[in-house]
Amino acid sequence: MNLKNDLSDTELLRSMLAGDDEALTLLYRRRQAGVYRFALQMSGSKSIAEDVTQEVFLFLMREGNVFDPARGSVSAFLFGVARNYVLRRLRVEHLLAPLNDDSDDDVPLLQSGTDLCPLEDLTRAETIESVRKAVLSLPAKYREVVVLCELQDVSYGETAEILGCAIGTVRSRLHRARALLLAKLRPVGEFEEASSATVKSARCFA
Amino acid sequence: MNCQKFESVVSELARGQMMAAELRGEALAHSDACDDCAMRLRDEQMLTRGLHSLAADMESLEAPAMIEANVLMAFRARQSVVPAPVVRRHSAYWVAAIAAMLLIAISVFVFRWSNRPVEDNRQATRQEEPQQKPQPVVEPQLAQDSTVPDDEVLPQRPKPRRIHPASLRRPASAQVANHVTNEIATDFIPLSYMNAASLQDGGQIVRVQLPRSALANFGFPVNMDRYNEKVKADVLFGVDGTARAIRFVQ
Repeated sequence: MNLKNDLSDTELLRSMLAGDDEALTLLYRRRQAGVYRFALQMSGSKSIAEDVTQEVFLFLMREGNVFDPARGSVSAFLFGVARNYVLRRLRVEHLLAPLNDDSDDDVPLLQSGTDLCPLEDLTRAETIESVRKAVLSLPAKYREVVVLCELQDVSYGETAEILGCAIGTVRSRLHRARALLLAKLRPVGEFEEASSATVKSARCFA
Repeated sequence: MNCQKFESVVSELARGQMMAAELRGEALAHSDACDDCAMRLRDEQMLTRGLHSLAADMESLEAPAMIEANVLMAFRARQSVVPAPVVRRHSAYWVAAIAAMLLIAISVFVFRWSNRPVEDNRQATRQEEPQQKPQPVVEPQLAQDSTVPDDEVLPQRPKPRRIHPASLRRPASAQVANHVTNEIATDFIPLSYMNAASLQDGGQIVRVQLPRSALANFGFPVNMDRYNEKVKADVLFGVDGTARAIRFVQ
């Protein structure tokens, strides 16, 4: 296992397709979190994210030989497969419309900011929740760009490979998506304050 | 830099993306001079911070361990099921094709083999049909000997042939023909009151036994030592019931 840790994703995939389950385990552990988070940020649903993660790796073991290293990385390939599964699920479940606030399956507020005072922690959590809802309310083609470029920290070039479009398209979609997000967050009136609080809190403990 | 140009680069500026130092300096200088663009940059920076906070909060999330177990189980099940299915499929086709070819070859062989005795029988039937010359021809070997039916003077007996079961289902005339092939017979001799043409009308053959002395009536020599023995003969009866020809059989 230790020796295989040094292998690239492409080499692990090749070993996996040859029947090496250890290679699958390593590749899964290396890439599952990104795929899961992408599906979760795109859908806002834990159950969909879990299903999609499983489907992506099942697809990889079934059709992994269609991966072409010349066209991109394994990670980009997995994101592309995950994107297709997520969009299919959302289409089926009619979740492309703005989400309801009282969904049981929504991602819960995260327990972070342990060094912040309770008020600031609450403010920060509210800010994050506002941003999360704003992202989920974006049209899919803008949401996927925001999720990949802003939340998954994927480069423009790789995002273009995943989405199958030009880099210029990625740039313009991201620009438009950010404008939409600002428009959604600004009327709430708390976005600016919360963001400021986050900044202030950072100063508090500086 | 004007506001329009600033708008095109404000996202990159707020996100801290790589950009030319000169362009970055111009954009920052413009935001210092223009309140609207300064506010626009501030909004973008706040959005960037909000998105970074969201990303940081979700960074620790990963798929439940159950998913890994499911994927591994599916992978192992797939590995145990898959072994070389293509080869097996091809080999099955080849076996089926060879079996079909063998079946066809055996069928053709059996068909041809079963038809061989029928052809021979037809030839024998043709020989015994009366359209041949109705002359009392005696084979030279027989003529040299004093007694036609004697075993020692008979020409070489033809090899007995196996009768295929299919021939058992043939009509009685065919069975007679088979029987004839195992016997030695003279040609049909028209009886004295019939002409040769009347033999072609056809009729029915009846096997009879005659005293050996009857051979003398048709010009055959008779061995007097076996005078009391019987000889077999086939009598051809016409459609009107009259005996038209006779042949002697051993």
